[in-house]
Amino acid sequence: TMPFRHKNTRRIEGLDSNVWVEFTKVAADPSIVNLGQGLPDISPPSYVKEELAKVAAVDRLNQYTRGFGHPSLVKALSQVYEKVCGRKINPLTDILVTVGAYGSLFSTIQALIEEGDEVIIIEPFYDCYEPMVKMAGAKPVFIPLRCKNDGNSASSADWVLDPAELANKFNSKTKAIILNTPHNPIGKVFTREELQVIADLCIKHDTLCISDEVYEWLVYKGNKHIKIATLPGMWERTVTIGSAGKTYSVTGWKLGWSIGPEYLIKHLQVVHQNSLYTCPTPLQEALAQAFWVDYRRMDDPDCYFYSLSRELESKRDRMAQLLREAGLKPVVPDGGYFMIVDVSTLNVDLSDVDEKQPYDYKFVKWMIASKKLSAIPLSAFCGPETKKQFEKYIRFCFIKKDSTLDAAEVILKNWNKKTG
Amino acid sequence: QTHFLSHSLQAKMSRPVQARRLEGIDKNIWVEFVKLATTYSKVNLGQGFPDFPAPAFLTEAFRRAVSGENHMLHQYTRAFGHPPLVKVLAQLFEKLLGRELDPMTNVMVTVGAYQALFCCFQALVDEGDEVIIIEPFFDCYEPMVKMAGGTPVFVPLRPNPPKDGKLMSSADWQLDPAELASKFSERTKAIVLNSPNNPLGKVFSRGELGLIAELCVKHDVLCISDEVYEWLVYDGKQHIRIASLPGMWDRTVTIGSAGKTFSATGWKVGWVVGPDRLLQHLRTVHQNSVYHCATIAQEAVAQGFQRELTLYGKPESYFVQLPKELQQKRDWLVQSLDGVGMKPIIPEGTYFLVADISQFKSDVPDVPNSDEPYDHRFAKWMIKNKGLAAIPLSAFYSEAHKNNYTNFIRFCFAKEEATLKAANDILQKWKQEKNSS
Repeated sequence: TMPFRHKNTRRIEGLDSNVWVEFTKVAADPSIVNLGQGLPDISPPSYVKEELAKVAAVDRLNQYTRGFGHPSLVKALSQVYEKVCGRKINPLTDILVTVGAYGSLFSTIQALIEEGDEVIIIEPFYDCYEPMVKMAGAKPVFIPLRCKNDGNSASSADWVLDPAELANKFNSKTKAIILNTPHNPIGKVFTREELQVIADLCIKHDTLCISDEVYEWLVYKGNKHIKIATLPGMWERTVTIGSAGKTYSVTGWKLGWSIGPEYLIKHLQVVHQNSLYTCPTPLQEALAQAFWVDYRRMDDPDCYFYSLSRELESKRDRMAQLLREAGLKPVVPDGGYFMIVDVSTLNVDLSDVDEKQPYDYKFVKWMIASKKLSAIPLSAFCGPETKKQFEKYIRFCFIKKDSTLDAAEVILKNWNKKTG
Repeated sequence: QTHFLSHSLQAKMSRPVQARRLEGIDKNIWVEFVKLATTYSKVNLGQGFPDFPAPAFLTEAFRRAVSGENHMLHQYTRAFGHPPLVKVLAQLFEKLLGRELDPMTNVMVTVGAYQALFCCFQALVDEGDEVIIIEPFFDCYEPMVKMAGGTPVFVPLRPNPPKDGKLMSSADWQLDPAELASKFSERTKAIVLNSPNNPLGKVFSRGELGLIAELCVKHDVLCISDEVYEWLVYDGKQHIRIASLPGMWDRTVTIGSAGKTFSATGWKVGWVVGPDRLLQHLRTVHQNSVYHCATIAQEAVAQGFQRELTLYGKPESYFVQLPKELQQKRDWLVQSLDGVGMKPIIPEGTYFLVADISQFKSDVPDVPNSDEPYDHRFAKWMIKNKGLAAIPLSAFYSEAHKNNYTNFIRFCFAKEEATLKAANDILQKWKQEKNSS
């Protein structure tokens, strides 16, 4: 027989492995307390579910809608974001609805990035940025967040970019920088000053900014989420990405959006019309209705955008406390629903385990097997050069119901009772 | 601060901001025609979606999933397909293909069949690869091949009108075997097959599929088989899956659609079925582009399929009832069109039919040297002046061949009786106007 000549295309060479495929399988065992993948186990708000239940009964909402976004949804998004950004947003030209923020990242990168381009990615990064940039034929250029207190970090605010180091990463080939604020996994909420440093460089080098702001509503006391697109000179070069999954605790609805100037969004729309054409109608309609509910109360503390944040802040504080009681030093996040922690202080000896994986991968697998608690290794979120820097950290997700956190508490309290 | 732009900045700013892969794929017929239909049409037989409801058992399943106890259905499910759905798809297609299937490796769920097509081209077509596309074709194949850096190579279905003057059938549109063979070269990576075919409604026969299969095996070419209308076949015809032909399983990706199967196009649930060594590459594209598909719709579709599996072949099966209903609607529309002088090509499958409008040319005069093919102008005129929306057949041809068949328009008949009656009223009135002028 002839050897099978049909291999993968060049664009996906080396992009087949994925941390989630590995770890969601491992943690699928229901006896394991799963604080790994970023998936709420709390219920979405009931009005959100009710809107979706209502929608299924409307016949025409089970058929195709407008490709670039269901009209009532793009209208609602434009209203919400006009209020937030303080500028007019055209629902038909400045917005694209996508299959999750993931789909927005893909559409943006495929539309605007190509071979010969460089894209700056801040480490640690949500893992899909690197393969998506590579799939577009471009070169990822990494720059790490560094802990300013010599590794002694108590807060996500301790993790900062070195402005000189950042400036050095920009050159004539730099097409875009990917910004993620609030940041996954560290939970950093970039300050206005930090954003200004990035903005200045984008303007100086005529670089685009892809701003992943899926956790935009999840910022804790003392912090404010600032949209880089609202800084002078930035609207025209920024695509801002949002997520229904993170906004309404419905990750399984897989709806996201890209917002930006028409002359950029139109290219995302071309990618969209040639890749999946439309997003599901009933989910978009239900989401639009949910947005109207919260749009009307955006000046009210009961608005879900703020109430979810308050709920998560107490879970954050509880998680941090549990980790401290186990003898660990968590990095308390200013935003998002993840928390990283340095586990090297536990001195768990894994030198007899297969050496090819970084320490944190081995640690998490060991922790799942022996402690029945799962997390995600931080080196999954790093480029090749910084794996050593981050391999002592693991990431916990705390958007979990009380009983899950109770179960985690039992494990962490008993941690030191067994030998490591 | 600089008062002059640096040389490299100038160079950057003079380059287009968008990537080269978007070149030549920005236009889209639907954007124009959907807008026209929304603005002008009283009766829309244009875009392909039903105006009758999705079956109650399906929408019930959706509601149950939304409001049920398991609120985790609102969260991510397995990226390559919700387990209940891939399991039931594997069970069903095992039956249909006559081979064992692993739900985890031989099936993947996608955002509609559209995204399945996208994954195929991105995973398997590299720059310089040729992909054979049979004309007329569902319009997205061409731009998708181009976006993947491939070169589309077109081969037409040619009409062989029956000598007895009867109405043509979609079966009368055929590939010329020698012409098809000539399209295969060393650079041919894949052929795209669409059976039942949109827009003609052709259901490829076993012989025709055998021809294609032989060439695929001979030239070691892949087959991307778009079978979204697999259940919509009429007159007792059988839909044959090319993946079940000798030598084809290992080189075929078969694509399906819940939207077409269950009359719920807005749910955007599709799938691919094929060998692991091809699907593994589709999984790589999927995990780097959308990653997960929405959970709830998958849960509801899974339940829909479970019902169909238990009712398979029985009269209450939706797969039996839907084509029966649609066949009646087809016959109705055929009569309607024939009655006014449009010559319908009777489709063997799908919910589309194409009609020859040459006898209506007096209403919309030809414009010599016009940029726009005649059928385009005719369809636009018809929407605006008669309120009846249909799609010009040239929309389903490559740029080079758009002027080969300019007297045909495509109607969608997946419509309520009232809609088809209203269309008939428009056509009758039109005929009367022509006769009296």
